[in-house]
Amino acid sequence: MGKIVTITSGKGGVGKSTTTANLATGLALMGKQVIAIDFDIGLRNLDMLLGLENRIVYDVVDVMEGRCNLSQAIIKDKRSRGLHFLPASQTKDKSVLDKDKVEKLLGSLKEKFDYILIDSPAGIESGFEHAIYLADTALIVTTPDVSAVRDADRVIGIIDAKSKKAQQGQEVEKFVIINRVKPQLVERGDMLSVDDILQILALPLIGLLPDDEEIIRATNLGEPVILNPKSKVGEAFKNIARRLEGEEVPFKELEEKEGFFSRLKRLFK
Amino acid sequence: MILGIFRKKSSAQVAKNRLMMTLAYERASTKIENLKELRQELIEVVKKYVKVKDIAIKSNTNQDIETLEVEIILGEGG
Repeated sequence: MGKIVTITSGKGGVGKSTTTANLATGLALMGKQVIAIDFDIGLRNLDMLLGLENRIVYDVVDVMEGRCNLSQAIIKDKRSRGLHFLPASQTKDKSVLDKDKVEKLLGSLKEKFDYILIDSPAGIESGFEHAIYLADTALIVTTPDVSAVRDADRVIGIIDAKSKKAQQGQEVEKFVIINRVKPQLVERGDMLSVDDILQILALPLIGLLPDDEEIIRATNLGEPVILNPKSKVGEAFKNIARRLEGEEVPFKELEEKEGFFSRLKRLFK
Repeated sequence: MILGIFRKKSSAQVAKNRLMMTLAYERASTKIENLKELRQELIEVVKKYVKVKDIAIKSNTNQDIETLEVEIILGEGG
């Protein structure tokens, strides 16, 4: 049976889709059968990050409404073996998702895949509720700023209230991913530190992503940055995939190779 | 650092304090859907016995224990 992992956040633009694309690719590289599903109905996005926008024929709503069968809608990635993708529909009607149909779809995907990664829409409307309802694990993405952390906290509360597992008295596994960390700013005291955020959200950390311009380039190209072996943030994504698989990977993502200035600074400490 | 004495509180520290304050209230309102009514009713009940000015409800998560703090403000001291 596969595992449903929902990638979510309260605030938009914190990197959910980028995280979904990279984690899906990373898990596939580890030999897993993975499907990434875009649940942001009306605002399709994950397709571009995966570079699969030209291959879409059917979407997730088509499958649920029975306009096509599952295998017709699933797109197989040609670069990464084991990676599959199910796009969001572009309909303006956000209420098209139906709890029973979502459950049926995810149920059949669970039989075929090791990981079902759901890219949740931002906000706390119905689309979000569908995305978290059946989650086994929720990854809450935030950036180190007050609005993103505040919204993350709200979302955590809602996962605890609205997910099926929570309603049955079980617990959805929840982890935090902190994106766009700038170590220099943290050091100067002008950015919430990782410890600050974890203390506020009271959840374990699973990913630390340094702010990296390489991501912008990767997004432009439609190639998840994890495929770039030289990228630091790509490495950080690989670490998340390994941690999801239960491996203990130390958090060294923010450690700089010591440059001239930091050595100089240390001399004066 | 010596410089630290002259500097204002770091902006990250300010952010953290602001967040903790805001979230303390918001957490209570996500857990209890009709917090407003609860507050109103509490005021009514307590009013029967003492003069109440206001009631503040805060929820707190501390490790594994979640608490709900109800603060009954009786009025200015003295």
